[in-house]
Amino acid sequence: MRALQVIDQAFRATTEEQDDPILWLTRSMCGAGATLMFLLSGHAVQYATLSQRQPSLRLGQWQQTQPADIPGDMTNLLDSGVPFYVVREDLVERGLGETPLHPGVTAIARDELPGLYEQADQIWQW
Amino acid sequence: MSETKTLTFVFMDPPFEHERTVTFFRLLDTALDRDVNVRIFAYEGAVTLSFARQQRHGNAVHGRDTDEEAHPLTREWIASLQNKASSRGLQFEWINCGLCVDERGVNEVIEGCGRGGPPDLWRYATTAFNTLTIGTR
Amino acid sequence: MSDYLFIQSQDPFTETRAGHQYRLAQQLREAGRGVTVLLVQNGVVPARQEAQSRPFDSLLKAGVKLLADEFSLRQREINDEQLKAGIAVCDMGAAIDAMLASHKVIWH
Repeated sequence: MRALQVIDQAFRATTEEQDDPILWLTRSMCGAGATLMFLLSGHAVQYATLSQRQPSLRLGQWQQTQPADIPGDMTNLLDSGVPFYVVREDLVERGLGETPLHPGVTAIARDELPGLYEQADQIWQW
Repeated sequence: MSETKTLTFVFMDPPFEHERTVTFFRLLDTALDRDVNVRIFAYEGAVTLSFARQQRHGNAVHGRDTDEEAHPLTREWIASLQNKASSRGLQFEWINCGLCVDERGVNEVIEGCGRGGPPDLWRYATTAFNTLTIGTR
Repeated sequence: MSDYLFIQSQDPFTETRAGHQYRLAQQLREAGRGVTVLLVQNGVVPARQEAQSRPFDSLLKAGVKLLADEFSLRQREINDEQLKAGIAVCDMGAAIDAMLASHKVIWH
């Protein structure tokens, strides 16, 4: 069974969880042998253009030491064989149309989504 | 006799914050009406749905004491669905993501709700007839 | 080739993405798939006759089967007669039946 993970939110819990919860979930399931694909849409297209770890949060004397590493997680998943797609129009409307994408991520047009959805047995929209 | 089908549901919302929680429980209830085995993987805030220490309270604005208010508690909704499943000879399995439980400090859960992790979600999904994920916003 | 059922909780008045979600349903229909959109929660709001949403009206004309959750309608006091033409009222059974029919059921 192959599932397409679809996310359209970004940074919702990344500071508190020190991960994107769905990228983390996907990495963990891949470790258990899952066959997954990943679609970044909406605000989540921003993930495809990041190159650094998230900034560390400081509150009073509390200092974060392990901020989320979204590019690292994406590299790990791509190396594990998880294909990553990003919706081109969502990049453009956010001013990211000319920004280099994370190596290995494939930009697709919104019109191509039906074809992508047909490639998966299940669509897991988060 | 055909084998009973199993459906898996994945949920992320805690109680009392969003309409999604009610729709989710209505889906589970309806699945049992359809004589389907149900498996739930509770992720992130949804692990608090089964917290055993949820407590009712009164409603002074409406002049109702605790008993009169009869405030909904999701732990009671889960128990009710567990009983419904049992009375119909169906399975109703509920796993909370363990790390999500730990970080929220909600380790006391009601009977019949277990602890697991993402490999359990994949197991649930691959052994079920179909799976529905309901993300949070 | 599978059919699709979208459980549509997002509405076009507060969520920009609802328009894109409607369009995806239309595109899958144009590609020959059976597509149902089950409106739930505030997703039922554009279904009221006088509601103004071009993206929703476009979805209505697209040959997609449109259902509205009876509980969500009752909460918002939208009677059956107050719905735009072409929308049937249902309960959560529509979603469960779709799952049991091996449709791809997707929460929006």
